Amino acid sequence: MLRLILLSTAALAVLAVAVQLGVAVGETRLSPTVVYQVLANQLAGAQYPVDPIDQGIVWNYRLARALVAASCGAGLAISGVILQSLLRNALAEPYLLGISAGASTGAVLVSVAGLGAGAISMTTGAFFGAVCAFALVALLAHAAGSGGLRNSAQIVLAGIAGSQLFNALTSLIITKSGSAEQARGIMFWLLGNLSGVRWGDTLLTAGVAVAGIAVCAWHARALDAFTFGSESAAALGVPVRRVQLVLLLVAALITAVMVSIVGAIGFVGLVIPHAARFMVGVRHRRLIPASALMGAVFLIAADVISRTLIPGQVLPIGVITALVGAPVFAGILLKGRGGRA
Amino acid sequence: MSAPAALQAREIGWGTRGTRIVERVSLEVQPGEMLGLIGPNGSGKSTVLRLLSGILAPTTGEVLLAGQSLRALPRRALARQLAFVSQMADTQDAIDVWDAVELGRTPWLSALQPLSAEDGRIVRAALAAVGLEHKQRSAWSTLSGGERQRVHIARALAQQPGVLLLDEPTNHLDIHQQLSLMQLVRGLPITKVVALHDLNQALACDRLAVMRAGQLVAHGTPQQILTPALLQDVFKVQVSELVDPQDGALVLRFKPL
Amino acid sequence: MPVRRLAFSTLAALLAGTVLSFSASATEYPLQLHNCGHTLKFDKAPASVVTIGQAGTEMLYALGLGDKVAGTSLWFNAVQPRFKAVNDKVPRLADNDPSFESVIGKRPALVVSQFEWMVGKEGVVGTREQFHDLRIATYAMPSDCEGKNNLSGSDGTRTAAYDAHALYKSVQQLAQIFDVEARGKALVNELTQRQAKAVAELKSSKLQNVSAALWFSSADLAIDPYMAGQKGVAGYMLQTLGLRNIVTSAEEWPTVGWETIALANPSILIIARMDRRRFPADDYQKKLEFLKKDPVTQHMDAVKNNRIVIVDADALQGSIRMVDGMEQIAQAALRLQGAAR
Repeated sequence: MLRLILLSTAALAVLAVAVQLGVAVGETRLSPTVVYQVLANQLAGAQYPVDPIDQGIVWNYRLARALVAASCGAGLAISGVILQSLLRNALAEPYLLGISAGASTGAVLVSVAGLGAGAISMTTGAFFGAVCAFALVALLAHAAGSGGLRNSAQIVLAGIAGSQLFNALTSLIITKSGSAEQARGIMFWLLGNLSGVRWGDTLLTAGVAVAGIAVCAWHARALDAFTFGSESAAALGVPVRRVQLVLLLVAALITAVMVSIVGAIGFVGLVIPHAARFMVGVRHRRLIPASALMGAVFLIAADVISRTLIPGQVLPIGVITALVGAPVFAGILLKGRGGRA
Repeated sequence: MSAPAALQAREIGWGTRGTRIVERVSLEVQPGEMLGLIGPNGSGKSTVLRLLSGILAPTTGEVLLAGQSLRALPRRALARQLAFVSQMADTQDAIDVWDAVELGRTPWLSALQPLSAEDGRIVRAALAAVGLEHKQRSAWSTLSGGERQRVHIARALAQQPGVLLLDEPTNHLDIHQQLSLMQLVRGLPITKVVALHDLNQALACDRLAVMRAGQLVAHGTPQQILTPALLQDVFKVQVSELVDPQDGALVLRFKPL
Repeated sequence: MPVRRLAFSTLAALLAGTVLSFSASATEYPLQLHNCGHTLKFDKAPASVVTIGQAGTEMLYALGLGDKVAGTSLWFNAVQPRFKAVNDKVPRLADNDPSFESVIGKRPALVVSQFEWMVGKEGVVGTREQFHDLRIATYAMPSDCEGKNNLSGSDGTRTAAYDAHALYKSVQQLAQIFDVEARGKALVNELTQRQAKAVAELKSSKLQNVSAALWFSSADLAIDPYMAGQKGVAGYMLQTLGLRNIVTSAEEWPTVGWETIALANPSILIIARMDRRRFPADDYQKKLEFLKKDPVTQHMDAVKNNRIVIVDADALQGSIRMVDGMEQIAQAALRLQGAAR
């Protein structure tokens, strides 16, 4: 018990440091004193005289953004853990289920094809697109298999089919009605963008992330039971269908919410679980919190880098995660069978 | 026959996409005995085993565990009484032997409950039973085929079942591994149902059940079953029975028809 | 003030003079013109013309050539009211980019293209050579090709700052091609005089050298906005009017973070009004609402003191409407100054 408390405190401390970094570093320079003063004012009721613009930047822009980055990173990471464990596939990640492609289509329908005439935001469009795509993929997998999720290869293939379909729809809409300006706006969104997030988004993403982690942690033992396949899990008394359904839905929902708010950020769900396994092993009791923490820190760092790599310009965060993630992905492929320890 | 059968199948059947894979199979497994399930490829052995274990639900008929229908038994309760070891359960995960065997305690532990000292003792005992204590912390990828099968059996033992079902446990194993594994299985003090390919291994079972094309065609002791007539009919081989002069054991020699 | 009148007339004369160094008599055929890297030859005034791009369309209408226009395409907003009657009689090939076949189907003698990305090396409709092969001449408006590299940057990157000179050159050249040089001269005169007047009025007021930023729209309400860059048309307008653009990027419409804008704290904020409702921020009311509610922007000087100027978006392009835009900005800015007193 003591060990648990110590570990949790250490984890929270690491997270706090990462968030601090995200708050202190940004596209413009703010002195550390100012950052400290703003935080002291807001959190400890101090009365430092701070320019209201600086205050707004640190508290409403940067802190909200750092927390959203942390939540999204954690959420996407544990979605990756769920999918890799359930589908028994080291290269599974949330976007496999066509969710990100569907979200892009939804966003593009709203912003390029003008669906909703400005009354629906891209976020809402993206969310519904994500949900539709996932439903389609699930139906396809269900119809292809003998009424079960037993065959993970079927889910993977259905997901690929769904992704291709929705990506094609996205391209169709962009080329048909898009101007260069719109194409640019969408491209930025498609590659992940944390610029527009505010406190409202923070509540949503943090809530979803925490709920997701809780559900996952509850199923840690069940996920372990899948180590040797779903049949083996059934033999160990795990209600396989129910667990698969619940966890897949959780993964899909987490991903849909995150993607609809910050756009399509790839590789987090793929790479972080592997890194976490490398550090703490494969038992889910440790893997889930470790993945969540590493995902959170990773995305905060990626956000900071995206803002500071090129002075005066903000890069899409998906570019950074891909630049880091793709080589790691290649490394996983090359390491091959049985070499993940 | 006053004691209820440990495991009983009543007219079970199962099919998929219009084909009947298993049809009207009824058999009983007596407590403590080792029942061998034999038959040519495609005869439905694996399916019967899965139906008996509750992993597959029969489309017709029912399976009873100590008199209770599997349908009425919750999964976890079932897993505490019955363990199933499938043919080639493998993993890419970097799991070590202890953790793999510890999985066997899953049906006994609730979601957030940590492992107790008693659970640890049971896992250790299971490892000892299969002779892998010294490899507790070895990684899965470093194990040989025989060792991996033994880990699966240890995991099944950690479930503390009354009935153990094994699907062709010696496939793909070296001869010495095959022999030691079957010796291990035979020595376990619980009810066992083993699907077998090797007819000489079948000789060591208490009773045999023969499958052909989804149906049970014979049920009895090895002496009763492994007659030349049945072997010719079901397995399409000629057999000569030999006696090993060293210990008087029966050995079967097979020849093509 | 006499100084003011003098400055005004000098400016007008200078502007007009640099452009109208050609003789304003009837065109001499065969006519040879250099246009964006191609040499155009005309034996006579073209009998019909197809336009790709609203700027070219309205320029031809302004030159009284509406009856020669066989088809129009690429519209950004409704046609100017004074051209509505003429435009109604002209077939519209597409609201966005037309297909190559629909353009040549009208058998025009000339195609006028506003953007190089429509008709050019990587033209969406086709390359200039494709048209020339079919004996159809192409005229690319200089504002998009002179001093601009359209092969880099999504809206192209300006290598040299935009200059209204290019606009007047288009008028002049088109007038020459169609043998209506007198009308061309009159139009240029009118435009240059109005521009000079707007500049002079602003120059003599206290608002000279005041800092400003121009917000076009944003892909999502809270996300990084599209602001006028240094070298584009809008940037040119600000500069000519004597306003200091706080955005330093050379791109035409760069995305700049609100953090950067807020910290630069421009004295005047100019926002675009448009009919299009593709993004929520297209609506200028929503823009105002955002500025007043956002925890950072509400503290900007321009927002606190309501120094916000509203300009029509169609007036922010390299078309004859640009002068409308300059007038709007100048007048609104002067009103602000008046109100401040």
